[in-house]
Amino acid sequence: MPELPELNPVVHGKLRLAVLSLLATADEAEFTWLRAQTGSTDGNLGAQLMKLEEAGYVSVEKKFVQRKPQTLYRMTDAGRQALTEYVQALKQLLGSAIQS
Amino acid sequence: MDAMEAQELQDRLALIEQMMKAGRRSTESWGWTFLLWGLAYYVAIGWSALGGTYAWPVTMVATCVLMGVILSRRDHKPNTTMNRAVIGIWIALGVTMMTLMPALAISGRIADARGSIAVVCAVMGMANGASGILLKWRLQQASAVTWWVASMTVCFGSETQALVVFMVAIFICQIVFGIACMMAEKREARGMKDGAHA
Repeated sequence: MPELPELNPVVHGKLRLAVLSLLATADEAEFTWLRAQTGSTDGNLGAQLMKLEEAGYVSVEKKFVQRKPQTLYRMTDAGRQALTEYVQALKQLLGSAIQS
Repeated sequence: MDAMEAQELQDRLALIEQMMKAGRRSTESWGWTFLLWGLAYYVAIGWSALGGTYAWPVTMVATCVLMGVILSRRDHKPNTTMNRAVIGIWIALGVTMMTLMPALAISGRIADARGSIAVVCAVMGMANGASGILLKWRLQQASAVTWWVASMTVCFGSETQALVVFMVAIFICQIVFGIACMMAEKREARGMKDGAHA
């Protein structure tokens, strides 16, 4: 029987997973949009984004648009790779759960 | 792995799908624009019926400006390939209408109102059809079919009948569709909030 894969703990967090999934579909996304889509609080979302940034899965850009601060997040290649591997591992684990 | 763990993994997979779907769908936050333009068409029709020579250009330009102001005040939306494709369709539609219609009016080629109504309905059908197919959205595809049926129907009746058909199409495809979109947006936003809470 093949060894079951480990799930990446950085990606596995529910809010972090939601954010990565959202960013996978967008070129870039603003903090407020991510907050609205996930229904999270500023503090929680900020903390989870920080963890993703530290892991190198998202990059952040801060700028001013019409004198208003704007924080844009992008998924990095490493983030895309991590999400892809996470989904593959998830499917493998679910497959083994069905077989057992 | 116990059943609880398996269920948790299933939930994670469902969350990924839900979030990706949310990121890809873009027209759902545009319901208000359908409603706005529907009302604008009614204003223009009513005003021109009262004899307003510049009813259409003034109403259309004013609506463009109003939409621009509202959009500039909204939060920055993520730029996705799907967004660009759908927005591109509607910008192309707007440019077509804003160039063709004044040109037809100034050159005096709109001798028969049925012709221009048929063109407007057909172009609206094309934009809704393309958008509906891209988004795999049956409601918008149905809206496109309604516009296309209207564009064909107006060719066979009197000018008054054509105007009535046009107004009915606006009501169904702009007002009702716009309200349905807004309701769907709210439902989806609530669903996503419930699903993504960590």
